Amino acid sequence: MIVCAALVVPPDSKVYVPQELANRKVGLDYGNGTAYAGLQMLEGAVPREAVTTCAAVIHPGERLAAMLRGEFEATVLQEPWITVAEKAGCRLVSTTFFHGTWVGGPDLDPALYAAFLRGVIQAVRRITADKRKYVSYFKHGWAAGDPAVQALTPDDFNLGRIQLREPTPIPEDEARWAWDWMASWGVLHGAFDAGAQINRKVEREAHELAFSAAT
Amino acid sequence: MSWQRNDLVEWEGATMMKMTIEPVSAFSSLDVLVAIEEGLFSAEGLDLQMLSRESRDIRSTTEGTLTSPVTNQGRLQERGEATMFQG
Repeated sequence: MIVCAALVVPPDSKVYVPQELANRKVGLDYGNGTAYAGLQMLEGAVPREAVTTCAAVIHPGERLAAMLRGEFEATVLQEPWITVAEKAGCRLVSTTFFHGTWVGGPDLDPALYAAFLRGVIQAVRRITADKRKYVSYFKHGWAAGDPAVQALTPDDFNLGRIQLREPTPIPEDEARWAWDWMASWGVLHGAFDAGAQINRKVEREAHELAFSAAT
Repeated sequence: MSWQRNDLVEWEGATMMKMTIEPVSAFSSLDVLVAIEEGLFSAEGLDLQMLSRESRDIRSTTEGTLTSPVTNQGRLQERGEATMFQG
């Protein structure tokens, strides 16, 4: 699954482009993919020393509410709360996409992982063929208790922000870049070690099994 | 607990492999939710279960900092109760 993340500002904000977030407090859910996506969007627009963030709650609806209360000047959101924010008049000043990644234990059985991958591959194909049919799933889970999400209709969603991709092995360059970038922020320590981070044997066997059966 | 091939269950007369994962959200795992709902894992012989986190597993991200974040991901796997989680 590819996740869309957006930097969002309140309706009355004077910020229209990400450069204008320099030295303004941005609420991030530290430790999560959305937070790192938000940080990368900020860093792409302003010098690192001008990136100003604070810890925000992990629930996107509560994070949006905190921004609207003025606790910080911008935040990062994912769907369906990007759509909720837009309906509330908020502006997107930057968007990006990142991978949702599954993490397994060291003794993952390739045959079982392959069965998981085959199920996901079929789901990706179904959803991609008719995204509008499946956006109702965004009302489940975390969003089940959020009235603003429950009020959304399928037509409210921008389908361009909903992207799926059949699972692939992790590209080593991308993994290294992510590690090095996080280390540069002090989140990770030490040098990237592909062999310690990715079990290529299990990954390769599972993908070969999955794709030989799913094509 | 690891993801063992001998974790097998009976389902509608067929032997299924069983796996437990940590909770997923639609924004990062719409594909997994649809695969569960539409029986796509079952069709592959996989009985996929999702565990719920307990309150002891949930800490607020506001307790963390950028360089020392608080994350709830992987807690169940650490205790051997789930096989995979979203990173």
